[in-house]
Amino acid sequence: MSRHARQLAGALIAAAIIVAIAIIVVTAQFGPTSAAEQESVEERQDQRLDAQEERREDAGEER
Amino acid sequence: MGDLVEDLTRGNATEVKVLLASVALALALYQLTVIAVAYGKLRLGFLDPEPASTAHRAVGDTIALLLVCTGVMCVSVYGFEGAHAVAGTALLALLAFKISVVRRDFGLGRFLPALGISVFVLLCVTWATSAGSFLA
Repeated sequence: MSRHARQLAGALIAAAIIVAIAIIVVTAQFGPTSAAEQESVEERQDQRLDAQEERREDAGEER
Repeated sequence: MGDLVEDLTRGNATEVKVLLASVALALALYQLTVIAVAYGKLRLGFLDPEPASTAHRAVGDTIALLLVCTGVMCVSVYGFEGAHAVAGTALLALLAFKISVVRRDFGLGRFLPALGISVFVLLCVTWATSAGSFLA
């Protein structure tokens, strides 16, 4: 591998590392605010509410 | 088109747009260093001007692709309004002009450094008016 090719490869690898760091930093800033995360939280809340309602209904029938 | 973008990003169009724009900005900062080496303004023992120039071209093509994708996403989801849209349009227009000067010259090669700095400034303005405020 020539000196030119080695240096070019090094410069492109450095660019790839910068991309990876930018992705890590920006996604860390997002936190749990993504739509997919919020949807799963809402889904879990709905399931909890449904289970509570079912328990209340069962308790009412027993009386 | 907006529905396609929402489907592709699984409802996270804003986050994906911010990520793409931030990656483009990070690469643009790198480009400033690399082109300084290519023009001989900055001397690094491990990077000669010729490979620096080739790397600048390759990374620049990647940035152009990222910016076009970001622009298409932005217009299709949010439409065209405000200072952000004006800055983004000016950025893409100036970038297209710079790329055409790089490829064909048109006798304007001496203006490339000024064009490059202008593209970088417009990218900073476009990022700050959208991704910057989103991340703040």
